[in-house]
Amino acid sequence: MTTTPVKQKKRGGLREEFRNPERRTAYYMILPALFIILVVAFYPIAYSLYLSFHQANINVVGNFVGFQNYVLMFQNTEFLEGLRNTLIFTVVSVFFEFVIGLAIALAINQAFRGRGLVRAAILVPWAFPTVISAVMWRLMFQDQVGIIQYAASTLGIISDPILSSQTLLLIGAILVDTWKTTPFMALLILAGLQTIPGEVYEAARVDGASVWQRFFRITLPLLKPAILVAVLFRTLDAYRIYDLFWAMSNRELESLSTFVYKGVRISQLNFAVGNAASVFIFITAFLIAIFFIKGLGMQTSTEE
Amino acid sequence: MMRKVSGSKRGASRQNSLAVVRRRLTRRSFLKLGGAGLAGAALLGVPGCSGGGGGNGNGEFTFAMGQDTTGALPGLVERFNQQYEGQYVCNYREMPTDTGQYFDQLRTEFQAGGGDIDVIGGDVIWPAQFAAFGFLVDLSDRFPESERGSFLPGPVDSNIYEGAIYGLPWYTDAGLLYYRQDLLEQSGFSEPPQTWEELKEQAQKVVQDSGTENGFVFQGADYEGGVVNALEYVYSHGGRVLDENDPNTVVVDSPEAAAGLQTERSMIEDGVSPQSVATYTETECEPIFLRGESVFLRAWPQTYSIAGNPQDSVIEQAQVGVAPLPAGPGGQSVSGLGGWNLFINAASDPEAQEAGYEFIRFLTSSEQQRAYAQEGSRLPTLQELYEEQEVLDAVPVIELAGEQTLQNAEPRPVSPFYSDMSLRMGEQFNASLNGELSPEEALQTLQEELEQIIEQGQNTVA
Repeated sequence: MTTTPVKQKKRGGLREEFRNPERRTAYYMILPALFIILVVAFYPIAYSLYLSFHQANINVVGNFVGFQNYVLMFQNTEFLEGLRNTLIFTVVSVFFEFVIGLAIALAINQAFRGRGLVRAAILVPWAFPTVISAVMWRLMFQDQVGIIQYAASTLGIISDPILSSQTLLLIGAILVDTWKTTPFMALLILAGLQTIPGEVYEAARVDGASVWQRFFRITLPLLKPAILVAVLFRTLDAYRIYDLFWAMSNRELESLSTFVYKGVRISQLNFAVGNAASVFIFITAFLIAIFFIKGLGMQTSTEE
Repeated sequence: MMRKVSGSKRGASRQNSLAVVRRRLTRRSFLKLGGAGLAGAALLGVPGCSGGGGGNGNGEFTFAMGQDTTGALPGLVERFNQQYEGQYVCNYREMPTDTGQYFDQLRTEFQAGGGDIDVIGGDVIWPAQFAAFGFLVDLSDRFPESERGSFLPGPVDSNIYEGAIYGLPWYTDAGLLYYRQDLLEQSGFSEPPQTWEELKEQAQKVVQDSGTENGFVFQGADYEGGVVNALEYVYSHGGRVLDENDPNTVVVDSPEAAAGLQTERSMIEDGVSPQSVATYTETECEPIFLRGESVFLRAWPQTYSIAGNPQDSVIEQAQVGVAPLPAGPGGQSVSGLGGWNLFINAASDPEAQEAGYEFIRFLTSSEQQRAYAQEGSRLPTLQELYEEQEVLDAVPVIELAGEQTLQNAEPRPVSPFYSDMSLRMGEQFNASLNGELSPEEALQTLQEELEQIIEQGQNTVA
């Protein structure tokens, strides 16, 4: 939706566009879709933005209060805890997913026997519904039947119950997320790798480029579009983390989204603040996306 | 009535299958089939569709209740419809089994001004949360104090908000102490513990003698069950959360409440319970006890029927004893109150409310409570039923624990903002149990947080 006006300007304005009968028909045809997007996507966002500036509870919309809900939000210790956890979680898990995912992609890009099977097999963790893998890992972290807790206490690494420590839970969540979504990262990067023509490497080898030179001068630059898409997807996903935290920690571990959920769905008083937090998530996620597209030069369309 | 509801489903699925069939049949046979199908759908579907509107002049109303896992509830509704045939028709609308989701759905419907539901089967902590916003019909005139005495006191109290009563107690639940009778006897204890201190002594001795892994497991996680467990310690030591005479005054920061939380914490400190008990819900506790890995367990009455079931349980029912929860130093035993009440939606029309109230009287009558105890093992709220052997046979766990347990059951704090309070209590009680905060620190924080909720809440309601 945001890219259309830009294109129109380039091509000489709306009027000119509409003079062309073929183009005009095209616009008429996408109009219903635009309208639906407006109703189902734009309206709720605009409405929650509107609510976030009012003294609202779930029943009534009260007076205009300016930024008060946002001020309360930033004073809320749970929100700050959720923000901190979410930031740590996003940065660390996406970093590991990227590094491991890249390594896996490079490995399975090589021709070897059974490559198809390996490619399918690595997707297994990713194919699990997150809630189910969260519960499964919770059982493994659990002290009575959990293999991880058992191994950790036998080896003397961790003596406290994993599930009752915030720090250990956060580390656990990062591990589980890395386990679960690295395959997704690997697959996207692999798709990028396959678009790099083999001749480029051949030419480089003829010129005497070393393995590292080939990797840093050819592979990485040519992979950049694929990497940016993969990392952006994962960053936004991780930033909105809810199900893994909620199910694995049994509501102990706070994230931005669990804070919103508690505010608007469980609490009867924190509706306005919870709603403000959801607006905060939306806007910051949007900024992250803009940073990727403008700041890092990510391509959003295949044109040009 | 259930036949009618499923009838409408059948009608709908027939229409769906028609859509599939259409492509393969000739026009003529399609028309024939379609005609028959439509007629069938009309016959079966129409009566089912009229449900949910509330009273439309023929005594029809809708009853909402979470899915009954015992399967006995549809039978009760059917009996009502037979008994009142031509007078009232009850449509049973199945709601989510998960209490939190059910609550959330009701709240959304109430806010939309929903008169779709007339009678509501609801958790004992809901009355204040709904009544404060005017969602429920005040039943003080219909259910006067003179009639309340025949019910158990705790469940009746749970329906009272600011002096008015908003519901009738339907069935009840109370926290109980399960113990390994065989192991206690082996260690020379003929009686289950009377106090928390005794529980610790017995647990330590039995663990030493028998090598059982754990002394005592209970629900200590940061969730609703953890709140109920901690409140049992607080209440049995004489502490309160809100002032009994003024629910807007928070009194949780008291030496009694601190002593209660200290006792709970001491279960871990004295090695009776594992440190991880602070992460346990029913799902973790129950299997530990049923695998024979704990001497004591705090649980709800349903656990008794699972004990001895070879699929879930290593131990036999004969090895299990049931007792009231131990008492604090003040000498009182208090169980957390669970269970369900029946309310009427204030937004439904007067006729449906009238019909709905008849239905509530029907469900809470001694005859139907007895039937529900026998068919669904639900604990009746009418006191007289506990004198009947056939009821006690249906719920043997109560015969073992003694009816006194139910008399001693106390509701959680009654507040329109219980959901918010519960989140705060869950967090602070858990922090104290976990050892992150001392009981005093946790209660001090909780006191401030609850006061803030009440203050914020008064602005919201007013």
